[in-house]
Amino acid sequence: MLLTDIVDLLVTGIVRGGIYALMALGLALVFGVMNVCNFAHGELYMVGAFAAYFAFAQFGLPPLLAILFAGVIGFAFGVVIEVSVFYPLRKRVKEEWVINTFLVTVGLSFMLQNLSFVIWGHKYRGIEAYWTGSLRITPGMTISLDRVASLLIAAATIVIFWLFLRRTQLGRAIRAVSQDERGAALVGIDLDRIHALTFGLSSMLAAVAGASLLSVTQTYPAMGAKPLLSSWLVVTMVGLGNVSGSVVGGFIVGILEAGSYYFLGAGWQTAISLVVLMLILVLKPSGLFGTQVKGVLER
Amino acid sequence: MKELRVKLGAARSHLTTALESLGLSLPILGLFAALAIIPAFVSDQYVLTLMISCLLFGAQAMAFDFTAGFINVVNFGFSGLVGLGAYTSALLVLKLGVDPWFGLIGATVAAALAGLIIGLLTLRLSGIFAALMAWFAGLTLLSVATVLVDLTRGMLGLNVPLFLDTAARRPYYYILLPIAIGVYIVVRVIANSDVGLACRAIGQNLDMARASGVQPKKYRVVNFTVSSAIAGLLGGYYAHYLGILTPNVMATSHTIEVLVLAYIGGRGSIWGGLVAAFLIIPIFEYLKPLMEIRLVLYGAFLVVATILYPQGLAGLVEALRAWIRRPDETGDQEQVNLSLK
Repeated sequence: MLLTDIVDLLVTGIVRGGIYALMALGLALVFGVMNVCNFAHGELYMVGAFAAYFAFAQFGLPPLLAILFAGVIGFAFGVVIEVSVFYPLRKRVKEEWVINTFLVTVGLSFMLQNLSFVIWGHKYRGIEAYWTGSLRITPGMTISLDRVASLLIAAATIVIFWLFLRRTQLGRAIRAVSQDERGAALVGIDLDRIHALTFGLSSMLAAVAGASLLSVTQTYPAMGAKPLLSSWLVVTMVGLGNVSGSVVGGFIVGILEAGSYYFLGAGWQTAISLVVLMLILVLKPSGLFGTQVKGVLER
Repeated sequence: MKELRVKLGAARSHLTTALESLGLSLPILGLFAALAIIPAFVSDQYVLTLMISCLLFGAQAMAFDFTAGFINVVNFGFSGLVGLGAYTSALLVLKLGVDPWFGLIGATVAAALAGLIIGLLTLRLSGIFAALMAWFAGLTLLSVATVLVDLTRGMLGLNVPLFLDTAARRPYYYILLPIAIGVYIVVRVIANSDVGLACRAIGQNLDMARASGVQPKKYRVVNFTVSSAIAGLLGGYYAHYLGILTPNVMATSHTIEVLVLAYIGGRGSIWGGLVAAFLIIPIFEYLKPLMEIRLVLYGAFLVVATILYPQGLAGLVEALRAWIRRPDETGDQEQVNLSLK
């Protein structure tokens, strides 16, 4: 194995990992704050990709605006889902919350995916590129500008999001709810509002991820399955609900997948990452950086 | 004369207790009788095919409910185990020339072993982690079946020899019916035994179960192994019934279909999944011209049922029964419950 191969591998892995980190961040957020196991996360990725496609290819918005537009649409979807599904669920069903959220989101995923088939049909829609051109990294390897951009967008989104959680009043409120719901309510935080905001933000992250990869993966109603699996891999690996760990985990899974692709060829990377993950779960059930998150390790 | 009557009465009560211990109460016996008799008078191949689908999915839902409804672990890798059974049986027949009937045994054993391993792996994990682990295990099986092209022909699919040389559906129905009834009885007997009681205790309150001396680990593994073995058996049947096998049989969407049936049927009821299959699958078959809209409805159904009526069909029947038996006492019952809280 040559040095250039290693560089290739790392670059591919990191580019891939940026998007996984973005997806996993949203997943970890709703789990940490609301204890929701979201299996419709991939569908929000799909919504984002479609929104960006129409904004960019049909309405001719500039790339960054198209991705931003996708983020806004994703946010709106998330808020609507929280208000119309999780709010009534929270009020009506008191027991087995985690499993119920899992069932509900499985149903939502089925609905959204097939609704999208109804509206857009079995057709792949894609764009050539947001930004044409490519970057030369090693003599044997070039990387398209779009992939670089997707990594940059992911990184920027994560940083902005991080600052939002750390530095703003709303971000602090979200973190307070994730630490202690009752305490947060006692100091006057409106839980319903925070829940809606959290789910909206998480959906926005997924939508941005889908939008920024538009030129790499074409839009298709069932496109959410793969990113859903990858982001679940990441959050389980680092420990459910661990927000900062999920960013690191995204890159680990990205590099792992690139590595198994390189050594074993196409097709095996899913099996390999799954097996590695199962080993981690067996040896360290609360994840690599597992911290106590409410409700997860109740047993 | 009187003696004889007493003896008869005793014999009858013996019979009822024996049947009850198999989980065969009168309504259930009626259901099985109807399932056995009706197809004899149906000659429409389409209707028979539909009934086979209902029975096959219903049996899977019963096996699924055995873990989801009792130890409260959602086996999200269920379709992986069904597929493992299907591929094991198919490959045994194709590569080693085994008879399909013995293939079914191989399918059951292979899936039971996989279930044992998954059960052991998920031992330390709490509810949703166990579900995730099972999901990952199922997906691993799916991706291995897809990648091992030399063995499984991957997405091209395998042509699997059938059980019989006939295209008629009725014989296949009568092959499946005893299997489905057997599944019900096995699950019911275990559920009624001490093992079942322990499983229920684990599902409801783990700490309390531990405190009363129940070892959760043992029962969880037993439960997983039994449920997986059934999944494998049904998978084996599926392979030799359909004749074509692709890795799609292991897709997560297949697990979701089974899951919906089990939950609409009522968690922990066992029979609920079977009844739900015979209600829901024909409705959705009827809605087939709607294409994907019916799948949207399927998803919506799950969402609405989880929010509005999580007890499912079994809960509905329970409520009806209580209402018929003592229409004026239900109010008191509720008050007692309230005061207990």
